[in-house]
Amino acid sequence: MRKVAIYGKGGIGKSTTTQNTVAGLSEQGKKVMVVGCDPKADSTRLLLGGLAQKTVLDTLREEGEDVDLDDVCKPGFRGTLCVESGGPEPGVGCAGRGIITSVNLLEQLGAYQEDKNLDYVFYDVLGDVVCGGFAMPIREGKATEIYIVVSGEMMAMYAANNICKGIVKFAEAGGVRLGGLICNSRKVDNEAEMIGALADELGTQMIHFVPRDNDVQRAEINRKTVIEWKPEAPQADQYRHLARSIDENDMFVIPKPLKVDRLETLLLDYGLAA
Amino acid sequence: MTTKRTESEAQGDIKDALLRAYPPKVARKRAQQMQYHEPTDDLPAKPIKANTRTVPGIITQRGCTYAGCKGVVLGPTRDIVNITHGPIGCGFYSWLTRRNQTRPPTPEDANFMNYCFSTDMQEENIIFGGEKKLKEAIQEAYDLFKPKAIGVFSTCPVGLIGDDVHAVSREMEAKLGITIFGFSCEGYRGVSQSAGHHIANNQLFKHVVGLDDTPQTHPFAINLLGEYNIGGDAFVIEDLLQRCGIHLVATFSGNSSFDFFANSHTADLNAVMCHRSINYMADMMEKKFGIPWIKINFIGAEATAKSLRKIAQFFDSDLLEQQVEKVIAEEMPAVLEAQKRARRRLEGKTAMLFVGGSRAHHYQTLFKEMGMKIAAAGYEFAHRDDYEGRRVLDSIQVDADSRNIEELEVHPDPQRFKPRMADETKARLEREGLKFSEYEGMMPDMDPGALVIDDISHHEMERLIDRYRPDIFCAGIKEKYGIQKMGIPCKQLHSYDYGGPYAGFAGAIEFYEEIDRLVNCRFLKKLRAPWHEVGLASSGLAAEHQVGRVETEKGGSDSSDVDYAA
Amino acid sequence: MLLRHTPTEVSERRSLTINPAKTCQPIGAMYAALGIRDCLPHSHGSQGCCSYHRSTLTRHYKEPVMASTSSFTEGASVFGGQSNLLQSLETIFSVYKPRVVAVHTTCLSETIGDDIPQIIAKAKEEGKIPDGAFVIHANTPSYVGSHVTGFSTMVKSMVDYFAEPKAPTRAVVADAGAPRLNIIPGWVEPADMREIKRIATAMGIQALVFPDTSGITDAPFSGRAEMFPAGGVSVEALATMGDARATVALGPTASAAAASALELKCDVPHETMELPIGLSATDRFVDALRRRGGVQVPAALEEERGQLLDVMSDMHQYLYQKRVALFGDPDQLVALTEFLMDLDMDPVYIVTGTPTKKFEDRIRHALKDRADRAKFKQGATADMFLLHQWIKNESVDLLIGNTYGKYIARDEDVPFLRLGFPVLDRIGHVYFPTVGYRGALRLLEKMLDLFLDRQDRDAPEESFELVM
Repeated sequence: MRKVAIYGKGGIGKSTTTQNTVAGLSEQGKKVMVVGCDPKADSTRLLLGGLAQKTVLDTLREEGEDVDLDDVCKPGFRGTLCVESGGPEPGVGCAGRGIITSVNLLEQLGAYQEDKNLDYVFYDVLGDVVCGGFAMPIREGKATEIYIVVSGEMMAMYAANNICKGIVKFAEAGGVRLGGLICNSRKVDNEAEMIGALADELGTQMIHFVPRDNDVQRAEINRKTVIEWKPEAPQADQYRHLARSIDENDMFVIPKPLKVDRLETLLLDYGLAA
Repeated sequence: MTTKRTESEAQGDIKDALLRAYPPKVARKRAQQMQYHEPTDDLPAKPIKANTRTVPGIITQRGCTYAGCKGVVLGPTRDIVNITHGPIGCGFYSWLTRRNQTRPPTPEDANFMNYCFSTDMQEENIIFGGEKKLKEAIQEAYDLFKPKAIGVFSTCPVGLIGDDVHAVSREMEAKLGITIFGFSCEGYRGVSQSAGHHIANNQLFKHVVGLDDTPQTHPFAINLLGEYNIGGDAFVIEDLLQRCGIHLVATFSGNSSFDFFANSHTADLNAVMCHRSINYMADMMEKKFGIPWIKINFIGAEATAKSLRKIAQFFDSDLLEQQVEKVIAEEMPAVLEAQKRARRRLEGKTAMLFVGGSRAHHYQTLFKEMGMKIAAAGYEFAHRDDYEGRRVLDSIQVDADSRNIEELEVHPDPQRFKPRMADETKARLEREGLKFSEYEGMMPDMDPGALVIDDISHHEMERLIDRYRPDIFCAGIKEKYGIQKMGIPCKQLHSYDYGGPYAGFAGAIEFYEEIDRLVNCRFLKKLRAPWHEVGLASSGLAAEHQVGRVETEKGGSDSSDVDYAA
Repeated sequence: MLLRHTPTEVSERRSLTINPAKTCQPIGAMYAALGIRDCLPHSHGSQGCCSYHRSTLTRHYKEPVMASTSSFTEGASVFGGQSNLLQSLETIFSVYKPRVVAVHTTCLSETIGDDIPQIIAKAKEEGKIPDGAFVIHANTPSYVGSHVTGFSTMVKSMVDYFAEPKAPTRAVVADAGAPRLNIIPGWVEPADMREIKRIATAMGIQALVFPDTSGITDAPFSGRAEMFPAGGVSVEALATMGDARATVALGPTASAAAASALELKCDVPHETMELPIGLSATDRFVDALRRRGGVQVPAALEEERGQLLDVMSDMHQYLYQKRVALFGDPDQLVALTEFLMDLDMDPVYIVTGTPTKKFEDRIRHALKDRADRAKFKQGATADMFLLHQWIKNESVDLLIGNTYGKYIARDEDVPFLRLGFPVLDRIGHVYFPTVGYRGALRLLEKMLDLFLDRQDRDAPEESFELVM
């Protein structure tokens, strides 16, 4: 079983990318579980066709300690298994602790055991690694490969670089590796080249460039992944391609995060100045 | 000291012995927190470092901010329902463990001190926030007990998840119409209990002091600050003051009630016992209400007499002075008799005191009354002024750990500020030797060359005892049994080993007897079984030297030669 | 009255715990770690936690309890505790030189989300952990479970870190003398651990008891400073737990987790049973040792059992149908309840603050036909306040629990047997076992003394008895 975590700046399109990629993998016959690690609990919505999934933490809160795996793990598109960690409303409590609690619970419930015959588990993690809780999916070998969703916007690249710093920290002890950058295009000038260069400097690869396409939004309005909503759309092929690249990926590295001034030079060279 | 080494030899030696095992950086830091006392009239050339972080991994005597706030300052008040907002542990450990005694006037009066109240936060309260549970807990406490006041104490995770205990307190105060106040005393906030004292002072001052303006009619009305009635000390002092004709408005906070605090601003003098834990309150009450403060100490017979005389001097009344002298004259004969007895058995013996933020100073007077020497002393959570006196206050650097404790800005109260005496009177009293708003610290009372160590670690304590074999060592519960295993009696000066009271004249007599019991305890001379004494000429001689011999044979109880690879 | 505000009428509480019948996880982890030889427990959190735990354990054992702390400040709470733990390990190994550092977390470091294995790996990489020394860890958030959970988690850590796969040759050699069994004694006193070892030895079993605080929290007066008294179970011994024929885990709440982890890791079958307090539970324990070890029960133990029965029969008239209230930890409570039932006594109220749903089934099982008459509860609001209210509604003849019970006992004038953790106001209890047939004898003697002292105190002069 491959254990994948998707990180990236908030609003970059992680959940959409993750779900479309998972849809692509399941089309290719893979058995995938998605664990949403975002208090908003919207990491599996498209796979579940808009169905509200009861989150692990809500279930814990209501049912107490006697939780069954079935209570928190719902089947979605093509048999993907969908879990939402959930968490508090903005501004209260500790979302990070929530992630720790739910990942621990999934382990206790045997969600990852061999008899589940999973090929993949995907963790879709909120924003930046803001506190220890958000690093949970990459700790203690829980996820072993990470993909960072990024765009050519400065803050997205800055966040990607920061996430790499987190990976370095856990790579030494937990064995987690960076599998590549996924560029979710914002139609910034020279975007592909710039992210390619960023990947080079980090010592990784841009595993796929996902172009911007309104079909993504159309599919979302219909509460579906592009692959499910319009299998023949060109954008669906983009995600299939991304899924295949991930499936065939054998480049796993400990990234070399950039100094801030180097990052800015990169932006100047490719973006603003070019 | 029992050894014949010259002072300088001993100095070089002992510091090295205490610091040798530390990593270099730690040794450098700790070196700044220990010194031989050299009396000086100027500001100390090499100030002692205090109120600074304990190095992680060091086995320290210290506790946390919550302990200082909920445990020390608010703990002794009987009629406030103190709710710990956090997981169960903090409330549990601070439940009745500090021996604060209290005496409600009638069996019907409120006394919540035997209870432990906690929101017992569970994981879901951490994740989803605990404010709702706190509100409900306050409501339940109100419904069950209808108290005058409820205090809410934050523990570590509460600060992290951002529950706003102050907002919840305000909301519930408005709803229930009683005083409800919160304390941001998360354990991580300061470097020791000391931060918690400050936080407790602030909130008591903001929320309670001054609520009741009933005017004071007694001519000699004082507050006693920094006396927590451990083992009944405050009862002894209350009795003494009453016999002298001094009216006690409020004690902060031994044997206290919410109402006493509320009216405490009507007193004419604040007498400060534990400077460390309560000097903030004294300062703030002086600024806001014009109440002067003086430092007093009721530990030790001579110190007690001196303190009573100081209070009489303050009130500048012959009547009071006569009454005070009468009480002292009644008490002293028995004290002197007991002192004589104690001196015969204890004169010249050595003591070391490492405890608290004032006790290591106060108890030195008792030991001196018995003719004992203080070889070394230090505080657990004091600041530099407690060592070197308030004259160094301006030279204390405020670091990040102190800066995050709120410093209240206090101004004279337009209606209630009232100077307690004419400037000329004050000037005259000062000329006559009464010191206002002054504490000279522990060090001026110590012999030159005595060792002073701040925040002593377990390791340093062991080395120190190994080296000097003092006749008695005073510390707390965590240290007690380790010290005693070394064959040295240990007197706990937090809990008094469940004895006391030791305040006042009767307390002094009690203490002399207690120290005699410990120092001259018979079985400590029988640590070795007779069959290990073979070869010694006389068994009497053997008994004399047993303890020393155990040490010599062990040689390196210093375990610096442990070989991990072996 | 000491607890003058406790009303008789029971009202529902959801959020306020009053006078808890539990404390938090880390103290249990600290106590368990003390049962490893040359081990320094380390509290990864604020100083206060470590100070509170050491103080409480010290007050209970009247022994030095050594443990260090990461001394978190506000900075550590924001930036994570990694540098505090790294610095701690450096200091600890330079100064105190333990063989093992057993790190447990606190609510603070758990909420921040410090990753202890990652930090330990970093310490190793930076050369802060000497060769031959070990740093182990247990996650013990204070807002989950109770002190018993913390104990259980640290014991499981001993399995996770130290158990080595079965070594066939070693097993053969080891088993050549006497059959080897692991015994996880649960949260009991050092005297109980000694008694368990004595029973096993008497049966001809080579028992690896872990944790084992005997020699540590009941260490003798030596005349010298000893960071690490000569007791506890060594790392070498722990490494061989995989070689045992079976593991006998005493007390499901405290010991089952470690036993099943060992079964998973090293294929050592386990049997979890109630603590051997009282006749029936001790019978089952001895029988388990007999079956698992393939040995005979020696005459000496038969004799002890016979003596216990003899005394039970002598005392029966004084104990019969006495109403008992109990509070404390699940494992002790279940075993005690069964013992009281064996004595034809009447356990009527039972509370534990430790949240465990299985508790109610276990108690019901122990209570047999009396289950419907008794009141029992677990979890946050199953506190001593509630227990006191029940007692106020209908009093009892005996209260059993830790020191905090003395406030209820005095207010309600009920005889009080101190048992469990913590006992802060009596000295010597850690030297006398309550497990096994001999432990049961001691419990009986203490109980009867309470009843008869009271009878002597209260009897009218004309019926004051000489012979009883």
